[in-house]
Amino acid sequence: MGMPVSSSPSPLLELRGLSKRFGTVQALDGFGLDVQPGEFVTVVGPSGCGKSTLFNIVAGLDEPDDGGILRFKGRGCHAKELLGQVSFMPQRDLLLPWRNVVDNAILANEIEGASRREARAKALAMLPEFGLAGFETQYPHQLSGGMRQRVALMRTFLFERELMLLDEPFGALDALTRSMMQRWLLDVWQRHRRTILFITHDVDEAIFLGDRVVVMTARPGAVKLMRAVNLPRPRAPDLLTSPEFTAIKREVLDAIEEEAMKSFISGTAAPP
Amino acid sequence: MNAAAIAALRLLGGVILAGLVWEAAVVGFGIRPHLLPRLSEILAAFAVTPGAYWAGLQRTAAETLIGFAAGTAVGIMNGVIFFRAPLLRDMLLPVFIVSQTIPVIAFGALVVMWFGNTLFAKAVIAFYLTFFPVTVNTLLGLNSVDPRQVALLRSFGASPRQILFRLQLPMALPQIFVALRLGASLSLVGAIVGEWFGDNTGIGVLLLQAMYNESVVALWAAILCAALLGTGFYALVAWAERRIVFWGAEQ
Repeated sequence: MGMPVSSSPSPLLELRGLSKRFGTVQALDGFGLDVQPGEFVTVVGPSGCGKSTLFNIVAGLDEPDDGGILRFKGRGCHAKELLGQVSFMPQRDLLLPWRNVVDNAILANEIEGASRREARAKALAMLPEFGLAGFETQYPHQLSGGMRQRVALMRTFLFERELMLLDEPFGALDALTRSMMQRWLLDVWQRHRRTILFITHDVDEAIFLGDRVVVMTARPGAVKLMRAVNLPRPRAPDLLTSPEFTAIKREVLDAIEEEAMKSFISGTAAPP
Repeated sequence: MNAAAIAALRLLGGVILAGLVWEAAVVGFGIRPHLLPRLSEILAAFAVTPGAYWAGLQRTAAETLIGFAAGTAVGIMNGVIFFRAPLLRDMLLPVFIVSQTIPVIAFGALVVMWFGNTLFAKAVIAFYLTFFPVTVNTLLGLNSVDPRQVALLRSFGASPRQILFRLQLPMALPQIFVALRLGASLSLVGAIVGEWFGDNTGIGVLLLQAMYNESVVALWAAILCAALLGTGFYALVAWAERRIVFWGAEQ
């Protein structure tokens, strides 16, 4: 089912038959995905479908079970070799309360041993692009949720890695801030040209942002549907009501619905 | 005028008011000086031999501070070691707990036998009362760091050492300061009790002398010295806490 996987010669990230079991819970089972350089891939699925497990593996935090294939930049590797190689942004901003905006933004650079002064100068130059100009010396507890999220995103962008993993970065924001942040993210992405793997619960968000939408099955997580989003960029908000968008949304929603029903029937007692 | 200055003035006013009430109550109700002397009499006692009180205050302050500083350093180190080596923690923490059940008086006698009537001996007793709460709270603080935060730093390629110094220790600071405030009071108790085992100067010595001479005024003068030192030290630690842990226990 789904679209044929594009057959470009060298994907940045290749996952084949990835599985992960925690005790009696099979979180992932035979998950496969190729991500091309510069591509924006969004992942949606029912809650508890193993999206976070997938991200933890690609971020290098968890090792997949034996038998799967994990290749990064054309080279097969263990997950732990990806530590420090991928720019990871978790659901919560996880800013350090004793560091101001700039020092939070350069945390990853500091850890890889970059000069603090250079990193700060770079961060200062980036502030306006992230809507944080004038806030450089503020501390996290002085910022709104949307601003904290932008600081976390800036930290992710400043850690210059080809692959960025964004785990529901806008999940905690209100609808208005959220749609503003989506357009802003596309804008920044178009300028910086990174490869993004983006988890979300929100189907509109997945289609609006992605070159490709991956729908995951209910646990154990595998690929249910792979749908290319051939909508022109730059994308404007009125796209959400266009017939092309609606058609894709119908298809994606059907796939999710099926999986959501399955997980509802099979595992009413299963925790997420 | 800023808020801190106003608060300080208010405090000063409160102290003066309490002093006036004390003075007026003793005079007004005709309380016998044997039970409670007038405040002015006690202050006069300071004026007669200011040198003795000043020397005592300095000596006890030195013992307290040295013991407290050592207790803080060793406590934090223990906490980090126990955090990194759970086996060691399971082996040694119970021993530490047992050591804390020895009454400070018994322990004080032992320490004075080991180290003599020295400043060092008193500092050791102050240390003994400080290091344990700091150890326990450091461990508690390190253990309560959000694992997602650790995962984030790991994903940046951080080494365990970087995670400790850039994340875990700063995160544990609010917990550590809870122990430091406790340690500020306990270390003073340790120093004063230590002086009871024999010394020439110190607030504990002043207390003992006043007791043997049955001088209520001198006893109260020593008590006021101890109160001054105790409050001052506690305020210093609380001030440092506000400066260092300015973000509060936000997360």
